[in-house]
Amino acid sequence: MAGASGSNASAFSAAELEFLAEDEMVEIVPNFRMEPLNFISGDFGPFIPQMPTEVPLWLAVSLRKRGKCTIRTPEWMSVEKLTQVLEAERDSEKFQPLPFHYVEISRLLFDHAREDIPDIYMVRSLIEDIKDVRFHKIGTGLEIISKERTYALRLKNLSAMEANIVRPFVTKALETFHKLSSSEMIQETDHISNRQPQATNRGPRGDISSDHLG
Amino acid sequence: MKIRTMKLREAHKNGENEESSFCSVLWDSTADHIVTASSADNSICIHDAVSPSNPPKFLNNHREGVTVLALSPNSTCLASGSIDHSVKLYKFPGGDFETNITRFTLPIRALAFNKSGTILAAAGDDEGIKLVNTIDGTIARVLKGHKGSITSIAFDPKNEYLASLDSIGTVIYWELQSGCTLHVLKAIAPNNASDVSAMNILAWSPDGEMLAVPGLKNDVVMYDRDTAERLFSLRGDHLKPICFLSWSPNGKYLATSGLDQQILIWDVDKKQDIDRQKFSELISCMAWKPHGNALAVIDVMGKYGVWESAVPSPLKSPTEDIPELHSKNGNGFLLLEEEEDPSASGSLSDLNEDSFGESLPKCRKRLREQGKDNDEWKEDSDDELDSIPKFESRKKPHHSKKDNLDNVKSGSRNVIANVGPKMQGSFQSGATPAKAGKRNFLCYNMLGSITTMEHDGYSHIEIDFHDTSRGPRVPAMTDYFGFTMASLSENGCAFANPCKGEKNMSTLMYRPFSTWANNSEWSMRFEGEEVRAVALGNSWVAAVTSINFLRIFTHGGLQRYIFSLDGPVVTAAGFKDELAVVMHVSPSLPSDEQMLEFRVFNIHSGTQPLRGRLPLTPGSCLTWFGFSDDGQLSSFDSKGVLRVYTNLYGGSWLPLFSVSKLCKSEENYWVVGLNKSKLFCIVCKSPESFPQCTPKPILTCLDLSFPLASSDLGADSLENEFMMYNIHLSQASLHNSIQKSIDEMAALGHDTTSLDDEAFNLETSLDRCILRLIASCCNGDKLVRATELVKLLSLDKSVRGAIKLVTALKLPNLAERFNDILEEKLLNEAVQNTVLPDIKSNCEGSTRTNNSPSSKFFTAPDISKTSDNVVAPPLNAPSSTLKRKQNEEGPAIDANGTREHITTTSNDILPPSNTLSSNFFTRKKNVERRANDTNGTKKHDETTAPGKTIEVRNSTSSKDINSVKESKSGEMKQQVCSRPSNPFAKASNNDTSSLLDSLKKMKKADS
Repeated sequence: MAGASGSNASAFSAAELEFLAEDEMVEIVPNFRMEPLNFISGDFGPFIPQMPTEVPLWLAVSLRKRGKCTIRTPEWMSVEKLTQVLEAERDSEKFQPLPFHYVEISRLLFDHAREDIPDIYMVRSLIEDIKDVRFHKIGTGLEIISKERTYALRLKNLSAMEANIVRPFVTKALETFHKLSSSEMIQETDHISNRQPQATNRGPRGDISSDHLG
Repeated sequence: MKIRTMKLREAHKNGENEESSFCSVLWDSTADHIVTASSADNSICIHDAVSPSNPPKFLNNHREGVTVLALSPNSTCLASGSIDHSVKLYKFPGGDFETNITRFTLPIRALAFNKSGTILAAAGDDEGIKLVNTIDGTIARVLKGHKGSITSIAFDPKNEYLASLDSIGTVIYWELQSGCTLHVLKAIAPNNASDVSAMNILAWSPDGEMLAVPGLKNDVVMYDRDTAERLFSLRGDHLKPICFLSWSPNGKYLATSGLDQQILIWDVDKKQDIDRQKFSELISCMAWKPHGNALAVIDVMGKYGVWESAVPSPLKSPTEDIPELHSKNGNGFLLLEEEEDPSASGSLSDLNEDSFGESLPKCRKRLREQGKDNDEWKEDSDDELDSIPKFESRKKPHHSKKDNLDNVKSGSRNVIANVGPKMQGSFQSGATPAKAGKRNFLCYNMLGSITTMEHDGYSHIEIDFHDTSRGPRVPAMTDYFGFTMASLSENGCAFANPCKGEKNMSTLMYRPFSTWANNSEWSMRFEGEEVRAVALGNSWVAAVTSINFLRIFTHGGLQRYIFSLDGPVVTAAGFKDELAVVMHVSPSLPSDEQMLEFRVFNIHSGTQPLRGRLPLTPGSCLTWFGFSDDGQLSSFDSKGVLRVYTNLYGGSWLPLFSVSKLCKSEENYWVVGLNKSKLFCIVCKSPESFPQCTPKPILTCLDLSFPLASSDLGADSLENEFMMYNIHLSQASLHNSIQKSIDEMAALGHDTTSLDDEAFNLETSLDRCILRLIASCCNGDKLVRATELVKLLSLDKSVRGAIKLVTALKLPNLAERFNDILEEKLLNEAVQNTVLPDIKSNCEGSTRTNNSPSSKFFTAPDISKTSDNVVAPPLNAPSSTLKRKQNEEGPAIDANGTREHITTTSNDILPPSNTLSSNFFTRKKNVERRANDTNGTKKHDETTAPGKTIEVRNSTSSKDINSVKESKSGEMKQQVCSRPSNPFAKASNNDTSSLLDSLKKMKKADS
């Protein structure tokens, strides 16, 4: 899998994903007073000392770097919640609902707001554990592809980073499977030009993209 | 019976392993204090029951867990028994350790004072019950007979018997006089030998006629006083054996706590349970409040709480008959004791022959000692930093002197004298109680916080500003005074401490944040008085002291003024030039209502702009007092009602927020500040009612709202909005006039336009709100209310909107009425405007000001675009777009118009106002004609109502292509018609201000 993510077929780099994740909203507690900020993406603020307000992560991080605010740890990042998620993750086949960018958000917060997170070591190790469990699940899940010939995979609650890592490999694999099976079809259906396979080719791919892999 | 939950707050930590332990709780006889202890904790806690905000006092004399507490009947002496085998006596409520009155070889489990407080019975895992003379500490007698460890002892109220119960369930009646066992009742109570947290208990009924003992069948069994015969039992919903019981002070009710973790309240006469409460932990001890209907409980985890109105309301209060019962019995007892006491103590010491020889001189010595102690204590009680108000501590020396004279006999009298609700003590807004080893707030406001933590006899104080970019950085300081009060402003901070004995006088210290001079910090010391409250303003420091002096100092430390205040201070707050002080007017009412008064002083001008009574919810005390962001006086009480002072109705307090309306029982709100529409507070998860210092608490914003009655309309939020806007509007207009009078120059400057815009925006939003209310009134078939609402609309356009609305709702009658109102309004305006020129021409201020209020009411710029959109009638959908266009046009024109007219002189206004009437009529004609045009074609003319309704409809729905042009011009004319009203409003406003100006000038000239 590491190979897959390292290959140039990967859709996004980690940095790009982080950039995308920076649009997620977090709550900050500012220690300055400022009128609302009017951005293209929306209005944020007003900023009143000690009064929590919601801003995009990039703004929160840049304010935090200047020592202008403290970032409130999102609810899902509490030790309690994470332990629950970890347990559920271990118990069930399914992926537990976590923020789409949970890897990136937690990483950014660990990097820039470590003082603001209570029990940071615990939280960090929990998130690592969850990540491991989920990647393991993906790994075992991918075996399905090789066992049964499927054209599509339904992976609910998959996060951005996870999707990004498996995307090149999985899409390619599925495509190949499809090609193989359709080539059989071609053999069966004689010589009809490669127009049809292409058309059928479209279908499953569309399926995949609608199933969170696109 | 419903099951409620009760908030409990932690008093004792249960060690690391969270094991259950036996905890005890007590009230003192005046219900000022609650005393708690836990067998897992070596400290005894004395909590302030009146204002729980004050920090509890910890007594850490025991080396191991405290298993039992007892308070002498006059509440001057506290006894505690511990696992460390000792029984200690303390002064109460001071908490000074007095003596180790006796020692055992095994842990103590039970203690009891007799009615007069002269004998303390102590027992535990040891063999016998020791009767100790509390005066000299001699052991009068040891009663032996129990096989198991003794868990409960009780003196009969008539002082003849002693009943004791051990853990294997044996009850023994002892005769005090002789020390003989009268009755031994074996195995009548549950055998709890194994369980430490649940102890067997017995209790005499307050009249002494019955002894209540937990039975074997999860019940309570009553035994006769003299014969020890089983009288009856109380059986009910307890699923497991009863582990604690407590008689209500009047003996009518009994509270029982079972191992099934619930408390039942019994009506003893009816032998029936009347109420119950379930808890998450086993309740190990309970105590009835000596007066009032409340039960203090503590669970095995060391969490205590007070169950208010434990006896349901229709029933007699558990203390209702207590005064007469007390006075009757009390007097009887007193007499009895006075006769009996000497003989009793004589006989007791007679019996104890060894100690007889030395007991007398010892007794005297002790007497002298006690006298000395009492003197000391008199001072101590003066210094008391917790909430005991001054007058109370003055009363006490008198009592203690009497105590000196006739030892302890005044106990019951003391009780009678002090019955009644307490006056709350002084406090500092934004302070939290001190907790050992933890940081607490001395001051927390919208600006910043001051925190302190005691450490080895001195404290470490930190000052932080929320806005780190603007507030100065203040280095932390070490405090050798032990400051308990502080106040913080942009310019500096003030600290004060109460005096502690003669050496440590009360001190006020002020620390400016930025000054050009070195050493600009200053402090004042007060001899014979102590600071009760401090407040800061922009250039002054105020301190209110225990002798009701209000002292005002300047920024630099100059003593500026000293006033005498009327009553004991409760709190003080400062804002810019204004200082507000709250004080007591009189003792609180028997219904437990504090009688408070507030005064506002303007330090800069030396005036007292406001004074009056401070309203509070009955049964509550003031918990926060201060100014809002825009300088309005506000108060918050312990029942969670926020009140804001307004000048409406000659100065009154508006309840603008009520916690009970939020219906969130699991949260407590700790107020920090407020602005015009929001309340800023820190949410504390109950049972905590104070925020922790670390992590730094964050503010939560809550909307202000009136505690409205639940109306049949079902549009509470709208009604609330409506009232809010009204208040804001009245305040804005007031503010405007003040602002203008202050701004001496340029009443026509651009400042005023912005202010007017604000008022104007308010008006439009008010109208919007009223229209929505009208809609809901119509839907709720409250037509009269709707008509009243229409009269309140300030803009003509909104009235038209309302008419449109009701037509759409198919209420032709109402539309007709509204139309009448509109016409009346327009006529009124016309009249006003024709009068206007005269007024304008002569520059007589007084006539104008006379006119201004009424004219202000009617004249206002007319836009209500949103309201129109909101209530766009569904019938003529195509027209709505057109209309919207018009409406959008409307405001633009209007805004221009207003702007223009603000700067135009009165001459410019004259022509339109002259043409007004003619315009008015031509428009009407137009409209009528159009009405005729459309009459046939319009489908929505279901109504046969002639003329007016139709007219209106057409004037508003201009979809008739023929009349589009016409109507547009009509609209324009309308604009013209109504426009003169705008400048009039401005002009009148300006005029009022100019009058105020002139008044102000006159005043200046005078001074």
